[in-house]
Parts: sequence; structure tokens; C-alpha cells
Amino acid sequence: MAETHQDSGGGDFDLTQFYQIFFEEAGENLDLMETMLLNLNLETADDEELNGIFRCAHSVKGGAATFGFADVAELTHQMESLLDRLRRHELQPNSAMVDVLLESADASRSLLARHQAGGEGVALPTSDLVRRISELAAGGGGAAAVAKPVAKTAASVQTARVPLKEGVRSLEIRIGPLEHPEQADAIRELFRDIPGLGEIVVMPSDRKDLRIFDVKTVSSNADLLDLFAFHVSRDFIAIKEIEEAEVVVGPGTQAVSSNFADDPQPGAPLAAFPGFGFFDGSPGAPVTAVSAVGAGVDAKVAAKAAPKAGAAGPAAQPEAATIRVAISKVDQLINLVGELVITQAMLAQNSRALDPALYQQLLTGLADLDRNTRDLQESVMSIRMIPMSIVFSRFPRMLRDLASKLGKKVDFVTQGEATELDKGLVEKITDPLTHLVRNSCDHGVEMPAERLAAGKSETGTITLSASHQGGSIVIEVRDDGRGMSREKILSKARERGIDVSDQMSDADVWQLIFAPGFSTAAVVTDVSGRGVGMDVVKRNIAALNGTVEIDSAEGYGMKVSVRLPLTLAIMDGMSVGAGDEVYILPLSSVVESFQVKADAVSTVGQGAQLIKVRDEYMPVIELEKVFQIPRGNSQKSSDIMVVVEADGSRVALLVDELLGQQQVVVKNLESNYRKVPNVSGATILGDGKVALILDTGALVRRSRH
Amino acid sequence: MPLILAVDDSPSMRKMVSFTLTGAGYQVVEAVDGQDAYEKAQGQHFDLVLTDQNMPRLDGLGLTRKLRDHPQFKTTPILMLTTESSDLMKQAGRAAGATGWLVKPFDPARLLDVIKKVVR
Repeated sequence: MAETHQDSGGGDFDLTQFYQIFFEEAGENLDLMETMLLNLNLETADDEELNGIFRCAHSVKGGAATFGFADVAELTHQMESLLDRLRRHELQPNSAMVDVLLESADASRSLLARHQAGGEGVALPTSDLVRRISELAAGGGGAAAVAKPVAKTAASVQTARVPLKEGVRSLEIRIGPLEHPEQADAIRELFRDIPGLGEIVVMPSDRKDLRIFDVKTVSSNADLLDLFAFHVSRDFIAIKEIEEAEVVVGPGTQAVSSNFADDPQPGAPLAAFPGFGFFDGSPGAPVTAVSAVGAGVDAKVAAKAAPKAGAAGPAAQPEAATIRVAISKVDQLINLVGELVITQAMLAQNSRALDPALYQQLLTGLADLDRNTRDLQESVMSIRMIPMSIVFSRFPRMLRDLASKLGKKVDFVTQGEATELDKGLVEKITDPLTHLVRNSCDHGVEMPAERLAAGKSETGTITLSASHQGGSIVIEVRDDGRGMSREKILSKARERGIDVSDQMSDADVWQLIFAPGFSTAAVVTDVSGRGVGMDVVKRNIAALNGTVEIDSAEGYGMKVSVRLPLTLAIMDGMSVGAGDEVYILPLSSVVESFQVKADAVSTVGQGAQLIKVRDEYMPVIELEKVFQIPRGNSQKSSDIMVVVEADGSRVALLVDELLGQQQVVVKNLESNYRKVPNVSGATILGDGKVALILDTGALVRRSRH
Repeated sequence: MPLILAVDDSPSMRKMVSFTLTGAGYQVVEAVDGQDAYEKAQGQHFDLVLTDQNMPRLDGLGLTRKLRDHPQFKTTPILMLTTESSDLMKQAGRAAGATGWLVKPFDPARLLDVIKKVVR
């Protein structure tokens, strides 16, 4: 056994402090790699693209190895090896490679997520991926492919002295002493996972902390060490060629050739590998390069002597163009600005009573405060705005997988990726959009043959676009597929007992698909068509104060437009009074308001009231009754109707008075108090009073029962 | 206080190297790739350049070559941090004018140990 040095490093350094930054960086690299892989044109892939993809895998591997995430390092090492051959044009990229690389990127993410969560749970097995990658990497007829796996026989220990095939060497590899000798077992798996690496047999060991393997391989010792180093520090590995001179490894154990540029000749014992070296006579090299090796001992002194904290270098950090901030800090900032806006509104309201002649300076100051507060609010809100590309970027991959599963050909086009939307909305819109895009691919775009027969190009196009329109963002999912059939929807609706007529406008017909459980898909695939979906999509979008519209032409395609407010934190509201209370209605749901005469309201069964507004009967909801507002005798009765629309239905709310329109800062009631029926949130008015924001959707649903 | 130019496109590696070096009493200037490093090297004296090999815009070998073209960097030690330990890579490093190489992954103590041999 070679003498091993206890590695002097690590102990004084807490690498965990770099984990978070590594996780984020690795995530970005994997995302970038995925995007580049998806955009890769297999026939015309250029060096720049292949190098870029390689670099992503390379960076993740380097970091993972450095920070001790061996499973990620091993997987990305395999990916890197394949990509390395691709960028050297030793292999021609094909879709099987792209597939396995995409899967490996997913697997790496999952492994990283596990490490990030503290390493709990079972790690995703990657041996199959590793094997597939190495098969593909070997497939080009390179050196690795030439290496024929040594015949696997249980008797290999006995046959070790039998003359081996040309190039196959018989080695004894000792690993240890290790605190956790099971680390060494991972090395056995390498032989199982990597075809052509050779054969490994566990030999009896007289020490618990030491593992001995008998290995037959054509790989060089350096290659083996490179591979093993992902599991066990090189310093603990000793490779001995059976029937040949012993080769030992590890700093201080071997006088290594003084010139690393002239590495050992092929066939000579390789592998003396300290992990660094200097070129003889190169500028700045130590006088005797050999001293570079074997000195690992005094590093401990240097490390110990090093003060823990160190000032950063004098230069400005280049990445200062962006900073990472915890989302909770941003939210706190937004909250505080919300409070400031309220305080400012309060001051503005109180100051109205002041005589401008006497308080000119104060009023000028308040006007400035008003402007600055608005600017501040706008800037702060913009921090939470993130580009739609964050959402859009997940679709190319999804569509690629989906289209190939369905045997369809689909081009994916995105427009307006730079359009920004509040982060909270982005998170909530992702699922509904995913559903719509899946629908387009599954039900919209036809099979290639069908498209050709219809005189269309074989490849369908799905377009996802985002744009700002007024104070809203409009996201459209368009496809040039078969569109929806008016007749099919109507007959399906009749089947389900929905009251429809042939005279209904197209827009009304399309709205039918939002009915719960409604699906006209002839085939229920495992992708979509189970009839749960569009109603959920609509409900989720309505919950964000958004609306969904559909346009379709049979045979030509379909367009679904989702309109959303830019942010959930600020809302345009209409304030209404009932008794002494003030309520806020989302302006987006207010249709109209008018004064009613008492006799316009008709009472039907069980005391329910209806009002006829331009030939349409709608339920009347008295806020006074819903919220049990106490009312003095002297107060006048309610005589103002506000028509609100939600979930495609309208109700008329009976209120005392309309107080005005204003932007309100939405405060979550649930997190501060508890869920209150018919109320979606609260806000603080200019005079400091709290007003509840009404949940129009809940009010409409209430009227149905 | 010796001044070291640390070049790596990976923020986590850069932070680790920089933290290790400043902790050991070196001053560090960070650069995000070869091009950035080359620009930062203009008119500045460094006692050591530590560079990654595989980076966008300008890689470690390219940076080494460009630096060696300047009289100011003729004798500055340049160490390549690389995961590529092949002979070819080493020969390329030598041809470009690098002083030596250190294979990733490495631990902080190993890095300091190697640096101590070239920075006095």
C-alpha cells in the first residue's frame, strides 16, 4: 500500500458558504444548456454552439466536483465527455444525443435540488443515463469504442496471470485509508456503468478502512485516476500494475518527473499525478520544479494562518450589473412602500381642508411628496417585474417531447418575451399557459398526413405571444391546427344538457368549452382531453382578475387570449358605500351602475330578487344583507345598482352610494386575519380606514344558489 | 500584499478562489473571462494570474498568450486552473507560456500551497 497523506486541505475552509451561489449558477448553466440543445440544428451545428453547450456541462462539473457533489459531478462528467467529442467533431450530433443530454440535465437538476434540500430522500439513479451517454460517446468509433470489454468471468482472479489481450493491463488498485470505506464501492459501479472500462473484482483486504480491487482495463492510470477522483481523493488511490513495477500516487510519495510537459511515454508507468505542476523554465516557475510536488504538508500552516475574513479585492465586481436579492426583501420593500402610499394619501386628504394662502409651503411639500411617492412606488413595483421569457422558455422543451410523443411536427414561435409581468402573476400563469399550449399541440395541430391532406404544411405552428395593452398584459396562444367545430361543441353541449341554440354567436359557443367537464376531444390522450382543464384554466385566470377569450375558425386554427392585470399588489378599484361602510369593487369587473326605482326590482321564490337590465334579468345582491351592516333609521335606503361581471355571469349589487375610483394597495386579509367569505382582500383608505375588497366571483357564485 | 488576478467564468469558483486567497492575505482582482481579465490587466501589476481554461470570449490559453505579448507580463507567473489534464492540454499551456497548471477539483489548501511556490 502506498503511503497516503492525510489531505491537508478542506478542514479550515467552509465550502458550504459557496453552495447557494453554486446551485444558482448550476441551475442557470443547465437552463442555458437546455435552451442551446433545443436550438441546436443537428446538421449545421457550429463550433460556437457546441462549445457553448460543452462549457455549460463543464462549469457544472467543475463546481460539483469542487463542492463535493459527486453524483452531479459524475453525471456531468459523462455529459462533458460526450460534448467534448462533439465539439471536436469526432462525433456527429444526433437526436438521441440531444435526448440523453436533456434527460441528464433534468437528472442533474433533480440531484442538485436534493443536495440543496440537505441531501434528504433518495437520490435519482443515474447509472442508466451514464451508461447511455458513454455508449453514445463511444459510438463514434473513437478510442473508447475500440476498447473491448474484457470477458466477464467470475474466475477472473485466477485468470489474472493468463496472458491478457493486447493492451489490457492487470492492476491492483488500493483505496484507503478511508473514514467511510463504502465511498470506494462507487468505483465498482463505474465499471458497471461505463462499457469498455474493463472489469473489477473486489479482493480481500486485511484492513477495514482499505479496499483492494483487481482491475483489468485498457485505460491509462491517469484516466482511471481522473475517473476515480470523483468519488475518492486521488491521494487515497494507489495503482499497482501486477507483474510490473509498483506505481504509487499521492503528493510526497513519489519523485515525479520534473517536467510535466514531457509526460511519461505511452506504456511507461503513468499516473503519478499530483494535480498540479510547473513547466520547466517557464516564466515565474519555481527554480526547481520538482519541489512543486510533494510539498503538500506545509499548506496546512498557510491555511491555518489565514485570517478567516478577507476584504474583497480592490476591483469592482464585474457582475455588479445585477444583484441577487431574496424575494422576501423585495416584498417587504413593496409592503413598506404600500404603507407610505397610504400615509401619503392620508396626508393629502387631510391637507385639503387647509387654506392654500396660509400653508403654501406645506402644500407644495405635500405635492412633491405625492409625486415622489408615485415614482417610488412605480420603481419598486418594477423590481418584481420579470420578463415573460421566464415562462416561455419552458415550452420549447415541453413541446418537443410532446410532439414527438404524439408523432406530430410542431414549430414553436414566441413573441414579446421581454414583456414584463409581476413575479407572483408569472408563477400563477405558468400552469394555465402550460395547459393551453398542450391543448394546442394535442388537439389543435393535426397529424402530418392530415395536414398535408388539408393542403397545409406538414409542420404546425404554435405561437405564444405577450404584449402590453393599456394597464394589462395580453398573452395569446395561437395554433394553425384544425380549430374548433361549432357543430361538435353545440351537440356536445346538448348531450350534457346545456341550453344552447343554433343562433348563438361564435364567441358564446366558444365560451361553452369553459363549462366544467366539457371536452370534445374524440380521443382522450394522456396529454389532455379529459375534460378537466379549460374550466380550471378559466377559474385560475379569473382568480388573478384576468379574462380568457377564444377565437377559432374550423380548419384554420384557434387563438386563446388571456388578459391579466400587470400586478396583484395594486388594483384599480371603485369604492362604494353601504351604511357607514366602504367597500372596494375591482374596476375590471364593474360593467355599469345606475339608480333604480324601488318597483324595478321583482321578487321571485324564496325572497330572491331580480332586476331587468336592458332585457336581461339578473340577480340582485344587497350588500347591506350580505355583510349585515347596521343601519340607523335616519339613513336613506340603498338605491344604486352596480352591475358586476364574473365567471361569465352578471349580478347587480345594491349599494347606497358611489364614492369614486382609485388605485388601491391590496393587502392580504387571510395572512393578517382569516379568510372572510365574499372578500378577496382589504386596503387602507386615504383617511386611514380599512375597506374590504369584494370578491365579485364569489358574489356571482353565491347568487347561483 | 501580493496582488492576484483570478479569472473564472463560474461565479462560485471565482468566489471560492477569491475567498481562499484573501483569507490567506492576498489581494484579489476577479475577472469573469479572459477578455475581462485582459482588460483589467492593462496598466496594472499582478504578482500572479490564476486562470480557468474554458471560458467564453477568451479562454485561458488565449489570455496567457495575450498577456505574454506584453513586456509587463513577460515574467508574471500564470497558473491555469483546469479540469483538462491531458498531455495535449499541458503542451498547449506550455506553448502559450503558462507557468504551470492545477487540476480542478482542488481544495483551497492545495491552491494556496501551489501559489506559495510561485508568489514570494
